[in-house]
Amino acid sequence: MKRVFSSVTDGRGFDLVLVGVPFTFLLALAGLPLLYNILMSFQEVDMFSLASVIRPFVGFKNYVDLFTEPETISILKNTVIFVVGSIAGQFLVGFSLALFFWINFPGASWLRGLFLVSWVMPGLVVGAIWNWILSGDFGVLNFLLQQTGLVGGNIFWRSDPNFSLWAVILANIWLGTSFNMILLATGLAAIPADLYEAAEMDGANAWQRFWTITLPMMRSTIGAIIALGLIFTLQQFDLFAAITDGGPNNSSNVAQYWAWDLSFRQYDFGKGATISVIMTVFVMFAATVYVRSTRHEVRG
Amino acid sequence: MSEIAGNRLLLALSVVMAAIYLFPLYWMYLTALKSGSEMFATPPTFWPSSAQWQTFTYVWESRNMGRYLWNSTVIAFGAVALIAFLGTGCAYVLARYRNVWVDIGLFLILMFQVLPASLMITPIFVGFSQVGLLEFPRFAVILAITAKSMPFFVVLVRATFMAVPMELEEAALVDGNSRIGAFFNIVLPLARNGILVSAILIFMQAFGEFVYSKSIIQDIQLQPASVGLNSFMGPNTSEWNNIMAYATMYVTPILAIFVLLQRRIVSGLTSGALK
Repeated sequence: MKRVFSSVTDGRGFDLVLVGVPFTFLLALAGLPLLYNILMSFQEVDMFSLASVIRPFVGFKNYVDLFTEPETISILKNTVIFVVGSIAGQFLVGFSLALFFWINFPGASWLRGLFLVSWVMPGLVVGAIWNWILSGDFGVLNFLLQQTGLVGGNIFWRSDPNFSLWAVILANIWLGTSFNMILLATGLAAIPADLYEAAEMDGANAWQRFWTITLPMMRSTIGAIIALGLIFTLQQFDLFAAITDGGPNNSSNVAQYWAWDLSFRQYDFGKGATISVIMTVFVMFAATVYVRSTRHEVRG
Repeated sequence: MSEIAGNRLLLALSVVMAAIYLFPLYWMYLTALKSGSEMFATPPTFWPSSAQWQTFTYVWESRNMGRYLWNSTVIAFGAVALIAFLGTGCAYVLARYRNVWVDIGLFLILMFQVLPASLMITPIFVGFSQVGLLEFPRFAVILAITAKSMPFFVVLVRATFMAVPMELEEAALVDGNSRIGAFFNIVLPLARNGILVSAILIFMQAFGEFVYSKSIIQDIQLQPASVGLNSFMGPNTSEWNNIMAYATMYVTPILAIFVLLQRRIVSGLTSGALK
């Protein structure tokens, strides 16, 4: 007993306790639910069997049911559009901003940091603001678009099925741009300046320098950021809750919102778990890509 | 073009870009100050004709914002305390050693970090209801947030511990400190700032948390401000000045902390995500 105690205060045991307790916690509250999720996706779970431990085992019925439902394909398609649209927008705007702020002028780093406010704001507040900006009759975005002559009439962003998904994508691009910009700026700052000096002496113009130095040197950063973008867009939930609620008629519904909707609005926890399992596989794939592209940095 | 003039031009350009980017924030403050009729004016006004400050007191009282914000604070503080208590030591050990177990630990941490809350809530909710944790909804939310956010905290704080020179700790051990003594007297004080910034980041995240609170807390008396804002926004609402006043009171404290600590927060964030 005494040896155990002294090991905990002054030896290997100290490290084991420090690392063991949090990992036990994480395994219990994140690892266990993950496995429980897989189990539930093979069971029928509703309001009545919620509390029981032994539930009817239905095999792959939940999976089969999901893929025979008509809305599944359109929701999965929405998810792909949401992910690709958000990542492309965030990355392009973020990269252009990062390149601009890369020019060193007084105040650049402070102003650049200001963009990150979007990241610290509660997602629901961001959603509420965009909901109001995108409003059909009185929204300021419609007013600005008409003033600049880009559109002829009001666009009903939230209630027109052709635009509802894009309304959320627009808000999500705004939300994620700053994060992309800051991380890309860190990557740009790490490129050695003498590479550019050498290229300039060889007569390369700005365009050539961008394609032959900046992009190749940024390859691992860009890979990491695309993977992070995938992870973050698949986590996005608050904007859907605040702007369109997945509607109208599922036209802006995506898998992660649908999983919650099935569980907590339709009380079909089995199906909710099934979608969660499918999506978790995608997220873990993205995380593995992220680890691969930052591996040398993760290990220090 | 001289360098000074060039710098001024760039500065002006970047201020314009920042202004465009931050316009939604301005629109929130502006709408909160407009009267009920002015906010539906066409063309919209970009400066309030007469600022309606009483909207704030009206919304604060009619929506019971004090209670909502108190619940948000309780949840955020609870989560931060638990995360700091569990995560700091974990980050320290993961920073101190370099072997295959640490690599496995870091990989697990990352996998836990990326799990979306909206997917994890289904098994967590069912599990909690079976264990009986739903009887204590705020505590249940704190536990769920802790499991979600602790990996991020560990990654951030680990970067801080990596910057503490190992020689200092070794010197303390040679001087007769125990491992516990060296950790609390030498390493922890040196990493204090990094831990504090990471804790503030986690606090801001937990203060705005929505999915877990919405799903777990049914009792309106215990709901945080994010859920309150969600129930304020019905599908066909027209009270946008009141909603924006609510959003203003909710988000302004967070923005104030952010502007004050901007430089540290930005550097903390970037060190966590890419290093």
